[in-house]
Amino acid sequence: MARATTVVLSALLLGASAPACSYPTHLVAGSLTALVSEPAPVPRKAAHPYRADARLAVLWVGHATALIQIDDRVILTDPVFTSTVGLLSKRLVAPGLDPEALPPLSAVLISHMHFDHLSLGSLERIEAKTRVALVPRGGLVYVPDFAFDTVEVAPWQTWEDRGMRMTAVPVEHTGDRYRIDGAWMTTSRTAWVVQYHGITVYFGGDTAYERDLFVRARARFPRIDVALLPIAPIHPRPQKRLHHTDPGEAVQAFLDLGARWMIPIHYDTFVNSTDAFGEPARVLRRVIAERRLPRGSAHILEHGEQRVLIPRVTTRSSRPQDDSATRPGGPRSPRGPAD
Amino acid sequence: MRCVRHPVPSRRRRSLLLRVAGITALLACAGRAGADVGPDAGATEPAVHPTLLWTMAQAVPSPEWLFRGGAVHFGARWQVTPLLYSFGINRKLSPWRSFVAEPLVRHVGSIELFGAPEYLALGGSFAKSWLFRGGLRAYFPLLHRGEYLSCSIGGSAFHVRDRGGSAYEGGLYTLFGFLGAQVTYSPAAHFRATTLSLSLRIF
Repeated sequence: MARATTVVLSALLLGASAPACSYPTHLVAGSLTALVSEPAPVPRKAAHPYRADARLAVLWVGHATALIQIDDRVILTDPVFTSTVGLLSKRLVAPGLDPEALPPLSAVLISHMHFDHLSLGSLERIEAKTRVALVPRGGLVYVPDFAFDTVEVAPWQTWEDRGMRMTAVPVEHTGDRYRIDGAWMTTSRTAWVVQYHGITVYFGGDTAYERDLFVRARARFPRIDVALLPIAPIHPRPQKRLHHTDPGEAVQAFLDLGARWMIPIHYDTFVNSTDAFGEPARVLRRVIAERRLPRGSAHILEHGEQRVLIPRVTTRSSRPQDDSATRPGGPRSPRGPAD
Repeated sequence: MRCVRHPVPSRRRRSLLLRVAGITALLACAGRAGADVGPDAGATEPAVHPTLLWTMAQAVPSPEWLFRGGAVHFGARWQVTPLLYSFGINRKLSPWRSFVAEPLVRHVGSIELFGAPEYLALGGSFAKSWLFRGGLRAYFPLLHRGEYLSCSIGGSAFHVRDRGGSAYEGGLYTLFGFLGAQVTYSPAAHFRATTLSLSLRIF
């Protein structure tokens, strides 16, 4: 009965809102279809995601939500744990991590104001564990007061906390939340670069391919260890390419950034395109093969999968031997001072 | 403050739209005066301003049904917000809005002065079918800081068919406030009525 009520209510909501929001019909239909089925479960969720044996570890929760651990610091990106985004777009796969299992968070990074990246209901669930949330310039208006502080960071500006530096890096995307506000919400989107203890992580959020932006990011951060890059939505390409990288463009961005590893994000989690489930990862594997990227360059994670990229037992000088050999940009030069 | 101009089909329509946009822009500017610098230097005040798209969105009416004396009358309601104080917005930013108020700023918790012209199919002439309402309304967030669910309570004074009255109201909203239901009750002896409105408020 409850399910039937939910379906009817949602159908009414979708029907009433679809014309106003010009939401593509297939997304509405996809969400309605997904509404009658539960999100696919994640079989092995980490109960204790903090890894004492890791210097750098990444856990993909789903979509753009990732838990990044650098030594003793834990950062969560674009936290979304809800069953829908914006009420209309249904979750396809359960979150790969329960908010209750999160360790204390050194920072939460918000890339932009879209509902699949800024979820106020999700922030409520992690409020007690969050030390600070960083948002792009102009984004504060859509983050009401929480128990944690929320800080705006302008492009190329750096926010620092006890040795951890987080820099807002420009992307090609939109920063509005309700469409009509697009007339003045013109700056509230960003990527983030996190630096701590000599490790550098690039979180791309959501962006179109704009070579100059990635080249400039590499010039500023020449030694990125891992780049979390969006690979979807792919279709319909003429429309999506204005704001979203596809797997081929994401690989090119990875090469432009000169990062050591790539982790794809922003796919197979919510109904937000006409992509078939699994298609972005399949295309990415094909592109990696076609571009002949070194084995181990890209880590395609399952929802909830955690990958230790730099184990604690190895020092930086004795990293795996494939470090320079497998780096797409070629052998590394000795690491200088960060930034 | 810069206003965006968009091409519209006819000169006459453009003139009317520009006039409406211009008036709302002036009022919005007045309402925002002194709000450009928040208490925190690192907080960017959004440059909210009326646009053609926003103006067109305001023209979308909310259908309503008026129950009075055993009869049901169909109607349509428009709403404007001359002034809004948001008590839920981030404390680093100005809580004031005039005419243009983002959905979250309203539904995260706010008090607004509102005006609402309503057309009611009561019978009689077109001129006698209008009700003009002005009042005070408070919004409270229920789920997801009001974006998924919020409620409101308020009171208003109205003028219809050369007579005045007062009314009380309550409302429930979802979908970032885009969709809601409002119930308004007027105990006035000459116009005792209950109105059910399907609130469609795009911005």
